[in-house]
Amino acid sequence: MWKYLIEKEFRQFFRDPMLPRIVIVFPLLMMLVFPFAANMEVKDINLVVVDSDRTDISAELIEKCTGSGYFRLKAVCDDPREAQEMMDRNAVDAILTIGQGFSRSVATGEDVPVGIKVNTVNGTKGSISSQYLSDCIMLFMRQFSVSGPSVASAQASVLQSASAPVIDAAPKYYYNAYMDYKVFMVPALMVIAVTMVTGFFPALNIVGEKEAGTIEQMNVSPVSKTAFIVCKMIPYWVITFFMLGMCLLIAWLVFGYVCRGSLWGIVLFTVLHIMVTAGLGLLISSYSENAQQAMFIMMFFVLIFMLMSGVFTPVSSMPAWARAITYANPLRYYADAMRAIFLKGSSVAELWYDAAGLLTIGAAVLFWAVRSYRKTS
Amino acid sequence: MENVIEIHGLTKRFGSFTAVDHISFSVRKGEIFGFLGANGAGKTTAMRILCGLSVPTSGGGTVAGYDIVREPEKIKRHIGYMSQKFSLYSDLKVWENIRLFGGIYGLSDREIADKTSEILSSLGMADVRDSFVASLPLGWKQKLAFSIALIHEPDIVFLDEPTGGVDPETRRRFWELIYDAASRGVTVFVTTHYMDEAEYCDRVSVMVDGRIGALDSPAGLKRTYGAEDMDGVFRILAGRALRKE
Repeated sequence: MWKYLIEKEFRQFFRDPMLPRIVIVFPLLMMLVFPFAANMEVKDINLVVVDSDRTDISAELIEKCTGSGYFRLKAVCDDPREAQEMMDRNAVDAILTIGQGFSRSVATGEDVPVGIKVNTVNGTKGSISSQYLSDCIMLFMRQFSVSGPSVASAQASVLQSASAPVIDAAPKYYYNAYMDYKVFMVPALMVIAVTMVTGFFPALNIVGEKEAGTIEQMNVSPVSKTAFIVCKMIPYWVITFFMLGMCLLIAWLVFGYVCRGSLWGIVLFTVLHIMVTAGLGLLISSYSENAQQAMFIMMFFVLIFMLMSGVFTPVSSMPAWARAITYANPLRYYADAMRAIFLKGSSVAELWYDAAGLLTIGAAVLFWAVRSYRKTS
Repeated sequence: MENVIEIHGLTKRFGSFTAVDHISFSVRKGEIFGFLGANGAGKTTAMRILCGLSVPTSGGGTVAGYDIVREPEKIKRHIGYMSQKFSLYSDLKVWENIRLFGGIYGLSDREIADKTSEILSSLGMADVRDSFVASLPLGWKQKLAFSIALIHEPDIVFLDEPTGGVDPETRRRFWELIYDAASRGVTVFVTTHYMDEAEYCDRVSVMVDGRIGALDSPAGLKRTYGAEDMDGVFRILAGRALRKE
């Protein structure tokens, strides 16, 4: 009986005008467009310099900043008001103020009159800009002083002030040495693709049979509900692994990223995650009467899952109540595990916590789903 | 004669609404049993209970020898079902639909192949074997759905308004298929809105407000109610309904 049902599902899948295309286009889009588009790296920060010193040394500092590649020098002016006016017009993102007597202070090791002012309307961009700028100043100062001068900003900035620390801690970045945002996002995008295909396509499919009335014909037949549902999902599972393979291949060919951990680890966590999404998809389909309803419920879950998962923003920086919610979010565990395996090469044993999270949620959702689906009313 | 359906005091309530109200009847083997009633009289609900799609609130009975409350899944092996809502997969080809339902009822590949050629040749549809069901005219779909409902040689076939929306000639041909099945010993349980079709049945029950208003052969009913045809009988009985649609 299973053979015939699986055959049917594959036929219907390949005959669908949209689905086979989506399965090809979706991972391509995810892997080739989003890593570039959804990028958190800050580059091309527009900078204006208020140079009241006008010496070779101040020019050297400006050179140092623009030479870093992160800043685009818009203008060098004398009047701080002019610079402020540029920031008000959104023409620049940061103002570097070099006070009078800068070159002298550098030479004598006195407090150096340098100020940083950053537009923090976009908080992330603002704080990263000020970080870059103070790093540049620090690097510059180190050239001049062996003892390490205390550099204090003479002009306290209203928006953001930065002072260089006396202790010099040199960070070393592990697992993603250049802090490349694309590396960070690639495993997460695979997670999103898998979630969409395994959870929501089968749910829409079952609701479609409800709308067409064909589910009734199945319900009057001796087909068990387990057979009916599992046979519906099998094609999507096959397709998921096909997509996952495609994503890994693109990551390797286009970005040169290779999974550092075992591929079996990725397969295992994907299977666990499928359990959760499958259960959820079933729940949605048994509570929805038509495709629109199912779509709305899905949108609701997808949005919450993505925003509360750590896929885009770190869970550790969420407030306590939000962090509490993430414990019920399967994507949190799956994304965490996928990143750890892909980027760090973590073993499954090290990720027992994520596995346990997925298993718990999966068992609960599946139990509920099987109970809620009935052949008879 | 042997009864294939026996129902006693069958009741189905939805909240405070009683859709089916203590109905009792039996259907004999090989009989064409017409199940009539105005919209909302409860006939679809009653039929869904008999097919194991719905659980009765109280009362019970047997269909094909199995208890409708305790053994609905066993009943499903021995009945065929065809509904007004299209039950074939329109994105599958004709032969694929036959194969799917044959497989669901446990036929082997070999039996399915035999059944496929048998069905297609008897319906004169051999040419459309590879067409999608969506592309067939409604009358053909209905005939195909009926033949597929019989693929596992069930004891009883339930037809829920099987001929809705087609012309009288197509309906007449459909009834030839029904007679043919009945002559092979299949019990036919059919709901309909067409009173000429009611005349073709061996016995007819008319549901009024969730109860069985009358149950007899068409000739007997016409005599009892002094009506010329089944249409007259139906008007008299349905006119007694208090329930509005």
